[in-house]
Amino acid sequence: MFSERYDRQIILKGFGTPAQQQLANAKVLVIGAGGLGCPALQYLVSAGVGYIGIIDDDVISESNLHRQILYATADVGKLKVNVAKEKLNALNADVEIKIYPFKIDISNILEIFRQYDFILDGTDNFESRYLVNDASSLLKKPLVFAAVSAFEGQLAVFNVPDAHDEVTNYRDLFPIPPSKGEIPNCSENGVLGVLPGIIGTMQAAEIIKLITKLGQPLINKILTYNVLNQSFYEISVTSSPVGTYQMPKNKEEFLMMNNIPLANAPGEIIEIEGKELTSLQEQSSTIIIDVREIGEVPVLNSAIFKQAPMSVFRKFLTEDITENHIVLICQHGIRSVVAAEYLLEKYGKSKKIYSLKGGISRWKNHF
Amino acid sequence: MEIDIISFGKISEFIHNQSLTLQNVGDSDELKHYLEQAFPQLAEMKYVIAIDKQIVQKNIELNNKAIVAIMPPFSGG
Repeated sequence: MFSERYDRQIILKGFGTPAQQQLANAKVLVIGAGGLGCPALQYLVSAGVGYIGIIDDDVISESNLHRQILYATADVGKLKVNVAKEKLNALNADVEIKIYPFKIDISNILEIFRQYDFILDGTDNFESRYLVNDASSLLKKPLVFAAVSAFEGQLAVFNVPDAHDEVTNYRDLFPIPPSKGEIPNCSENGVLGVLPGIIGTMQAAEIIKLITKLGQPLINKILTYNVLNQSFYEISVTSSPVGTYQMPKNKEEFLMMNNIPLANAPGEIIEIEGKELTSLQEQSSTIIIDVREIGEVPVLNSAIFKQAPMSVFRKFLTEDITENHIVLICQHGIRSVVAAEYLLEKYGKSKKIYSLKGGISRWKNHF
Repeated sequence: MEIDIISFGKISEFIHNQSLTLQNVGDSDELKHYLEQAFPQLAEMKYVIAIDKQIVQKNIELNNKAIVAIMPPFSGG
């Protein structure tokens, strides 16, 4: 039997003790105990989720306090996960809380994710978000994604099949991570404190709905909320065409895919337009590599455009390229960036690596 | 044709919600090309467009009175 604590939700129509039991049996991992994580944790713990993991390596700073509502002024300087665990234990001792006082990274993420049923992304940077997305996708863990910027928030549920068995992930929206500095974060752009409070609470609601199978979670949808005019805008997400990006199929591919440090990659990929491709073609030390799969049209002259399909690109990487300018092309200019990242990792600044922006479909007349 | 633009995040700072009258733009690829010409900042960032609340994953026809949403990724938490 459950304590009186849960009475008001157990008496809800369609909830009852079975839903409460489902919550008690669930294991939820909250990544980031910040603006989104704090309110989400409070509601998940209050609701009686049985086992909650919290991963965060950060200490509390004064500038966190306007939105990270688990922390008090006297907590400044303390480790977030320690304070969060203490406050949450005091809130509801039924809930077992496991803390991970370090940064989630490629070496630990799969092992930690395997121990949970649901993942809540409350991180604050793209590197972690793509890592969390790819690991959730590989392990088929339902992911409740949220992110905020200034006065707006985004919320979505990924890796959960809809009625047509379609499954999407964050890369179906944004296949390639933005480069560093392209999109400002909270410390650069600011955020109204109550905004992550609202969005983080909605994330907790989505987790509770997924656990108890209540209502319609935002499966294959992304919701944008604007606090300034209290508006919501919902967009349906579908899978990208096959070949737009490749998700890792096993641990080895995952480790390879996520092993490219976004922030500190040596050198950079130069995205070029059609006319720049023409002038590069005229240089002697240029190789142009088509990374599309065999059979994709238009078929290009393989004497000019070397074929190295993404599906066998790892093997291709073991061959050495003698040319100084390496241009990657594909259908839409997305896979070519991924291929360019692999080459950048191999060659660093020793070669110039280019990707044709918009791909062959955009520069039809050029080919 | 006439379309309505709805933009989010940083994009809304340089593309305000507005109605646009377009000539010689018949599909989503041409629309993206037009938007990147008209608003050069857009060409330099990651974004996704939705037409009538459906994410655009391949080139599709653009109809009169379409509502076009332009959304960047957010990272904050």
